[in-house]
Amino acid sequence: MAIDKKMKILIVDDFSTMRRIIKNLLRDLGFTNTEEADDGTTALPMLQTGKFDFLVTDWNMPGMQGIDLLKHVRADDKLASMPVLMVTAEQKREQIVEAAQAGVNGYIVKPFTAQTLKEKLDKIFERIEG
Amino acid sequence: MEQQYNLLSTENIAKVKNLLASMEAGDLEKSQDYFDELAEMRESELYQEIGKLTRELHDSINTFGLDDRLTDIAEDEIPDARQRLAHVITMTDEAANNTLTAVEESMPLCEQVLNATRSVENEWQRFSNRELNINEFKKLSKELKSYFEINSNSAAKINEHLNKVLMAQGFQDLTSQIIKRVISLVEEVEISMVNIIQLAGSRPNKSNKTGNSEKLDGPVVPGLEQSSTVSGQDEVDDLLSSLGF
Repeated sequence: MAIDKKMKILIVDDFSTMRRIIKNLLRDLGFTNTEEADDGTTALPMLQTGKFDFLVTDWNMPGMQGIDLLKHVRADDKLASMPVLMVTAEQKREQIVEAAQAGVNGYIVKPFTAQTLKEKLDKIFERIEG
Repeated sequence: MEQQYNLLSTENIAKVKNLLASMEAGDLEKSQDYFDELAEMRESELYQEIGKLTRELHDSINTFGLDDRLTDIAEDEIPDARQRLAHVITMTDEAANNTLTAVEESMPLCEQVLNATRSVENEWQRFSNRELNINEFKKLSKELKSYFEINSNSAAKINEHLNKVLMAQGFQDLTSQIIKRVISLVEEVEISMVNIIQLAGSRPNKSNKTGNSEKLDGPVVPGLEQSSTVSGQDEVDDLLSSLGF
């Protein structure tokens, strides 16, 4: 089954430039249906509207951090199965383990390349379909 | 100017006797007064001692020539550095946004050129194979004219955007200069702090970090050792796959 390129993706990062980069990279990969939020506190109500199919989030943000956003998503019956890709500068082993235990679907460290983003997305969709 | 503190002075003994006498007589008010008098005397001794120590410390710091410099740093240079660093954020933000805007505006132009090329490509191939009749050739000729127009317009605009990207990179030079100045200020503060700590008689204890373990480390800066971090995406992938990902 082909990946639905029309899926709605929420990009959460406190830096607008990083959001723009991710948005452009996603568009280049054919995902044009994106929205943005600048931290977990803004993102969570957006997600709870049920409009989104995929979440890309940073970790270190003011307000609610990405890891807490992930935990909220997993704890919410309606959102629990949503794929979450973390794109962050946090590179500590215990943090990566924590994200994995919280149920992250992919983990990308900054700075990253378009190729890495594509690979991780492909892998996530492969697992979902498999 | 300094009173020698003599606990056993006849004056003190008299005061204590007075206190005892009034207490034995059951005079609460007087007892309280005598008691306060004794306590006050003791306090003023203490304040004098603290004053003396403070003066000594101040003199010692002056001897090291640190006082004025540190005042300058605290009053002017740290706020100045803060402003400079805030400016670095502004500059990098502008550069990134200018670059992104130029890229975003160039992408559809490239798309336009690509589409225009594809639309004439087939007909051109047929022309090369001498398959076109005169009317078809006229149509192709018109299309080519518009194709050239689109191409040269798009190329000119893309060139303009590329120049913007080029100019935006100027931030690197400027921000490095600012950051270098802040680094040298931090070095100076560090040296002064170490001097003060040595002056105070204790040694800086490197292992005694009271950092919050919950604090996030952020980007790994090359050359700054951070414990237990992965060095790139490959290691992240290895770690995750070891966890069954």
